[in-house]
Amino acid sequence: MATLRVCAGVALSLAVLCTSERSNVVAREATGSLTGRVHVIAHPARRLATAGAYPGRTVGIQGERESSELDNVVVFVSSPMPASSSPQRVTIRQTNEEFIPHVVAVTTGSTVEFPNDDLIFHNVFSLSRAATFDLGRYPRNASKARTFTKPGVIKVFCHLHSHMSAIVRVFAHSYFVVPSRDGRFTIPSVPAGRLDVTAWHERAGEVTHQTTVADGTAAELTFSLPLTDPE
Amino acid sequence: MTAVATSRSPRLLVKVLCFAFAVIACVIVAVFVLFSWQTNARLTRTVVENMEASQRRFAGIDARLRREHTLQAMALAENPTLKAAVDTYYSERGNEHELGQLRSTIETELTKLQEIMAVPALSVTDVRGVVLASAGPSKADWPAGARVQLRVEENGAPVETVVLRNGHPYTATAVPLVLGRDVVGEFFLASPLDDAYAANLANEARADIAILLGNRVIASSTPAALRRALEGVALPLSGTIVLGEDEFVVQRLSSVDSANVYALDSVAAASRTASSETGWVLLFASVGALLMAVGGSWWVARTVARPIDRLSNSLATMAKARDFDRPLPPTGGSRELDTLTTTFNELRTAVSLAEAESEATYLGVIGALATALDARDPYTAGHSQRVADLSVAIGRKMELSEADLETLRLGALLHDIGKIGVSDAVLRKPTKLTADEFEQIKLHPTLGARILKPLRFLDAQLAIVELHHERPDGRGYPYGLKGDAIPMFARIVHVADAFDAMTSARAYRGALPVAAAMSELWRLIGIDFDAQVVQAMAALPIALTEPAPGEQAAEADRPASRALVQFPKRAAAGTAQHAQLALRRAE
Repeated sequence: MATLRVCAGVALSLAVLCTSERSNVVAREATGSLTGRVHVIAHPARRLATAGAYPGRTVGIQGERESSELDNVVVFVSSPMPASSSPQRVTIRQTNEEFIPHVVAVTTGSTVEFPNDDLIFHNVFSLSRAATFDLGRYPRNASKARTFTKPGVIKVFCHLHSHMSAIVRVFAHSYFVVPSRDGRFTIPSVPAGRLDVTAWHERAGEVTHQTTVADGTAAELTFSLPLTDPE
Repeated sequence: MTAVATSRSPRLLVKVLCFAFAVIACVIVAVFVLFSWQTNARLTRTVVENMEASQRRFAGIDARLRREHTLQAMALAENPTLKAAVDTYYSERGNEHELGQLRSTIETELTKLQEIMAVPALSVTDVRGVVLASAGPSKADWPAGARVQLRVEENGAPVETVVLRNGHPYTATAVPLVLGRDVVGEFFLASPLDDAYAANLANEARADIAILLGNRVIASSTPAALRRALEGVALPLSGTIVLGEDEFVVQRLSSVDSANVYALDSVAAASRTASSETGWVLLFASVGALLMAVGGSWWVARTVARPIDRLSNSLATMAKARDFDRPLPPTGGSRELDTLTTTFNELRTAVSLAEAESEATYLGVIGALATALDARDPYTAGHSQRVADLSVAIGRKMELSEADLETLRLGALLHDIGKIGVSDAVLRKPTKLTADEFEQIKLHPTLGARILKPLRFLDAQLAIVELHHERPDGRGYPYGLKGDAIPMFARIVHVADAFDAMTSARAYRGALPVAAAMSELWRLIGIDFDAQVVQAMAALPIALTEPAPGEQAAEADRPASRALVQFPKRAAAGTAQHAQLALRRAE
């Protein structure tokens, strides 16, 4: 098992090296960009559970944010792309019993920090296949970090506050972006050619459009994410 | 004998006792019946009210329990592992292995919760209502992958749903699993609506429980017969209903969709025990009252009957003893009885007065008869009266009672009544009597007795009249009785008669002086006269006083009543001979 893992790790790093080399070649050859807009269509009739068991503690979810759902959208190239890793260090703060931001997108190898800003203890854990972990409980001003090596959707929760959740999307390439507050997005330096581009939201699911990126041009895309009940 | 006894009227005591008791007993029985009827009615009312109150109370408790149950479910729905697992489930779609792992995570968590909650079934569904995992004894009805349609919330609060799973009715409370602002799934608790559920509820409610789906009984804690009776019956929300032969207090405890849970209480069963208890108490009280009524009636009967008894007894005694002289004692029983006694006494007085009057009349007549007899012979005029007076004087000296003196007086007055039957020729013959004539004279005591015999009130005097010529030596007539065989009254009258005869003048002789007569009496003691009587006679003032010879003529015509103090003039001459003569005549 251990041998298998080591092998996988070696293969992966080799692949990463190869793809970065190849992308440099492609970049040199022909690149364009992806630009467009994401519309999150009206939050569904789902309402907040106001009659929750811990009504006084749900401070974090009380302030309604304008177009906040756009922060939870990730637009990315879903066609097979050469792997490229640019490890970053991002932070998801635990503030007012809420993970902020709710969604982060990183490349493999990136590390996410989870500092606790609240007066109370928090916990960070995940049951997701891509990264199953439990950082344990820690107090205010303490911080724990986790490096994500496998691409996937990692749902993060707090064992102490069941209403808290965050999502870490890990990609094996860097062709992804979280749209700005007005829904606009730009993914620069995308290899030219036919590409599948997907807009993803944890509840609305995915919407994928195919586009052709010509060298030196920007392909325009518009996504409408219906944030309705999956039913 | 028995015929006489039955024909006789019953005793007053018994009669009064029966009447008094019958009346009281009727009243007591009526009161008992009325009271027990009313008590039963009130008891039933109270039982119904109590049941309604307790059912309402339990309905309140049940509602609160359900609310708490819901709150508990909501608290459990905050379980972070459940939420995390369900939420992660979405992002792992397509990877069956991973999903299985997550399902078993959920199931493990649910099993832990089930141990805390002890609910028949605990399940988690995704937002589409597909069961992810279940726990609890009834989990077979809620398998993973099954689709359930549960109402989750209404007006922000969890609600119950009644659903059929594999033909088993369940009541389920679903709570959303909320993550942030999103519902990621549902968490619900389900209980089968079966007889065990009803029995459990019945145990808590202390009443029977019936669970109806529409008009169909799906579960109950009631006996089969009642369950059949409930089938198809529209039960009221709250109130009473007659099922079979029994009345029930009904209260709807809860209602979910078309399923209704009712509490049922049999009025008869509850009131039967209560009414039998009060019935016994009432019965005891009534029996006690009846016993007291017997005593009371006895007392009343005695109070009423006793004075009457007493009165009738004294009357009976009086009648038996023929003693009407004493008045009846007052009974003191009542004014009416006292009036009766007084009236009787007045009547008795009036009757005895009338009796005395008629006796006096008789005596007057007899006296007149005696006077008439005396009047036939001028020489014997006033004789009967004088003998009577003298006899009484002797009797008094002998210390006889007043009643005896009265008997003596009458007897003496009538002693010669028999002479009515002696012809005037013999009686008034101035010369010496022949033997035949003397025999005629000797008949007069018997004759007198025969005349007086029919007059019952002169019974006591009969002996005096009949025996006043008997002598102590047995040579008297008519029977020749001796000494003590002759009654004392007869002896007294004999002496008085002889004395008066001796001291009175006759056609054929003069009157003897008192002293001569006395000496003659003394001389013939034991022969002709009784010694005791003569001694008493001798002590009398007339026997000692010798009047002056001059007065005698004047005194001769005085009334007979005064004869005792007068002495014939002729009595002064030849004593012994005179006395002899006088005695002979008197005989």
